[in-house]
Amino acid sequence: MHCCSRRGFLAQSAATAGVLTLGSKPLLAAPLAADQQADMTIAKWAGAANPDAKEIEAIAVKLTEQAIAGLGGMQRFVKKGDVIWVKPNIGWDRTPEMASNTNPHVVSTIIRLCLEAGAKTVKVGDNTCHAAEKSYHSSGIAAAAKALGAEVVFLDPSRAKRFDVKGENLKETAIFPEIIESDLVINVPVVKHHSIATATVCMKNYMGVVVNRKAFHQDLPTCIADITRFMKPRICVVDAVRILTDHGPTGGDLADVKTPLTIAAGTDIVALDAFGVELLGHKPESIGTVAKGAKEKLGTMDYRSLPLREIAVS
Amino acid sequence: MKSRRPVWSAARARRIVQSLAFLAFVALFLNVRPRPDWQPDWSAKLFFIIDPLVMLGTALAAHSLPMILLASVGTIFATIVLGRVFCGWLCPLGAVHAIAGRFFRRFWPNRKRRDAWSRWQLTKYCLLIGMLFMALFGVHGACVFDPLVFLYRSCATAVMPAGQWIVEEGSTAVYKADPGIGSFRVAKVTEPPYQFLRLNVFVLPNAVFLGGGWILLLFVATIALNAYRPRFWCRYLCPLGALLGIFAWRPWLRRKVDKAVCNQCDLCRIGCHGASCESPGEGWKAAECFGCMNCVDHCPRKGLKLAWAAPWNNEPKIQPLDLGKRAMFGSVLGGAVGMCLMRISPQARGSTFNATLIRPPGARAERDFLQRCTACGLCMKVCPRGALQPAIAEAGLEGVWTPRLVPLLGYCDYTCNLCGQVCPTEAIQPLSLEEKQKIRIGLASFDVNRCIPYAYGRDCMVCEEHCPIPDKAIYFTEVDVVHRDGSLQKVKQPHVDPEKCIGCGICENVCPYRDGPAIRVMSANESRHPDNQPVQGVPSPY
Repeated sequence: MHCCSRRGFLAQSAATAGVLTLGSKPLLAAPLAADQQADMTIAKWAGAANPDAKEIEAIAVKLTEQAIAGLGGMQRFVKKGDVIWVKPNIGWDRTPEMASNTNPHVVSTIIRLCLEAGAKTVKVGDNTCHAAEKSYHSSGIAAAAKALGAEVVFLDPSRAKRFDVKGENLKETAIFPEIIESDLVINVPVVKHHSIATATVCMKNYMGVVVNRKAFHQDLPTCIADITRFMKPRICVVDAVRILTDHGPTGGDLADVKTPLTIAAGTDIVALDAFGVELLGHKPESIGTVAKGAKEKLGTMDYRSLPLREIAVS
Repeated sequence: MKSRRPVWSAARARRIVQSLAFLAFVALFLNVRPRPDWQPDWSAKLFFIIDPLVMLGTALAAHSLPMILLASVGTIFATIVLGRVFCGWLCPLGAVHAIAGRFFRRFWPNRKRRDAWSRWQLTKYCLLIGMLFMALFGVHGACVFDPLVFLYRSCATAVMPAGQWIVEEGSTAVYKADPGIGSFRVAKVTEPPYQFLRLNVFVLPNAVFLGGGWILLLFVATIALNAYRPRFWCRYLCPLGALLGIFAWRPWLRRKVDKAVCNQCDLCRIGCHGASCESPGEGWKAAECFGCMNCVDHCPRKGLKLAWAAPWNNEPKIQPLDLGKRAMFGSVLGGAVGMCLMRISPQARGSTFNATLIRPPGARAERDFLQRCTACGLCMKVCPRGALQPAIAEAGLEGVWTPRLVPLLGYCDYTCNLCGQVCPTEAIQPLSLEEKQKIRIGLASFDVNRCIPYAYGRDCMVCEEHCPIPDKAIYFTEVDVVHRDGSLQKVKQPHVDPEKCIGCGICENVCPYRDGPAIRVMSANESRHPDNQPVQGVPSPY
């Protein structure tokens, strides 16, 4: 937080007068006025505690709707006739309650909002780690997306094109062109433990646009910063309805899953990552990828310095 | 001539049934494709369960039999009554050879002798006797060369990958070069069929099988032999044909020639699929007749038909096959020598295990497995990750083309149990997903001289993150690594927990090294072998 406090301060004063309270407790900003545009929203469930799986589905939908509405609605990002790529994390052959993949109801709500905002086509797809057909199926995302008329795309490495990422570590690499040639990529990660990066949220989710990412792990922060810079994120939606707290990124044990019932959305990818890793109990500056993102000026770790709208949903 | 031929004839009916049977084979073959929510049923192995040679060979070799194979008793009854109609009307490999034979006949006509009976056609009986003798002692060779097994394996591991290679390489070349005239792009025409095949027909991209080229060569060679004699395989080699020939010793449906009408023009022998007649209009060998009906069709004087006769009747006449005592004895002796050939190796004697011979989950102990596996390739076709590959020498001569898991090419999917469900002879036992997830097919180990965190002091976690075991069979310990410049770095070094590892091979498959992975799965600690358990303290699921 220290390395960013000045930038955070500037952003703060440019927005509204805020009060910074230092310490382990979250920093509190003055709430935004109803007509002010937020760059980040955090929608948190404030209804009945301990919902069952069926209720969580409905909660996920509500939270997503509120988080996007808080940013000014999907029409802020989606123009009429746009082709949208929704990029969830569908890495693993795991069911939604394992929190290894993005919640299918979050994904389907985003698809619906895009279509309502006038998108021509919404495509959904990820470069999976386990077999794609299986992961798409078990994650529930294929069925949810198809039901809304979105195109479920099985990425084809033989149709990938080489792009110059112009990164510090990543130079020319094969990338799935359908993703980056769409008008807007909506990054929809799930918050998870990660055995090397400690935590994975938005930035790391962009690894799915690269065909061969195995060597990334030898210097994750740099590679992830490189690909994030290349992707020029405009909107990310963080799924923290369920989060994976251990044995990530694969998971598979319900004992490792927690349910914060939260969705954060925004335009600052580093801020959203910082928020995500805090949910896992880490300080953002202690996570290599987040610190590197802030250092590379891809965003701010101090998400409370942004025009932030916190919404209690019930 | 052509105009006088009837629109509807027995031979035409046979051709239609034969084509439909072949199309059914193709449809069932293509339907064996792993996809979410698909559960294979008996139709996946239909052609094997109606195959009496698979039943007999398995029963002799394994001394037991999956119940479903008893369906082939129906084929035996049909053969006793109707003769070898299976060969002429139903066998899909027979259809392939019939088409090839027809093609060569067009291309290279007027060779009457090609369809005359030859004594060498007895070869297949000798081969069958030799192989069934071997089966008595547990060598399953008769089934490895069963025609349906041969066709399935050739299609799964050679023909289909060859077709897929053409489609993938061709369409990718067009896609990349993007040729066209004006606004017309060739890729607009080639992409839709490619995408259709990719998503609906191919099992996985770039599907390849080790030694598939040899299997293709053998398949093409057997087809090319049709140039010498039509249906060469069926007449001279086919062990199932020989078995059915024995059952067609005295069929109830027989060829009847009207002596008063026959002028021995010999047109009946032209186009005879089985080459079943010794001389013009005479010497019909029931055991060699496929019931193709061409003779009935070809007879210009309508002096030839099929008639019913009780087995004890001597008319219409059947010319018996005379194999001879010497040929019988020679076949058995050949079988005995063949058996020695296969069994005189340390691995066959059970004193060593091959580290790279990783059998699919549910596979029986090696001897029992080899006694059942026909190497049909059904498990290789259904494997969603292309991990099951035909063995070349890993399982010895006896185990050629039997399935083995090659982690470098594919891994055993944690949530898949399809191979055991499709196996026609239960060489791979059908297991529930819960049972299958407990079966160890091997054990992973690190090559610390290559593994990046050990050898080069950098983090890498690809094997660990892919490990599908919920609480991970691969774990890290954090160590301080001293770099060249003296700087210290904390690096996570991976280890395998032998209590948790089931040998699925995904770690080896995803290792960044593609030349020789730094983590390898070998057959040690495989559940199916009590003697192959070097790492102690690992509870056995049995």
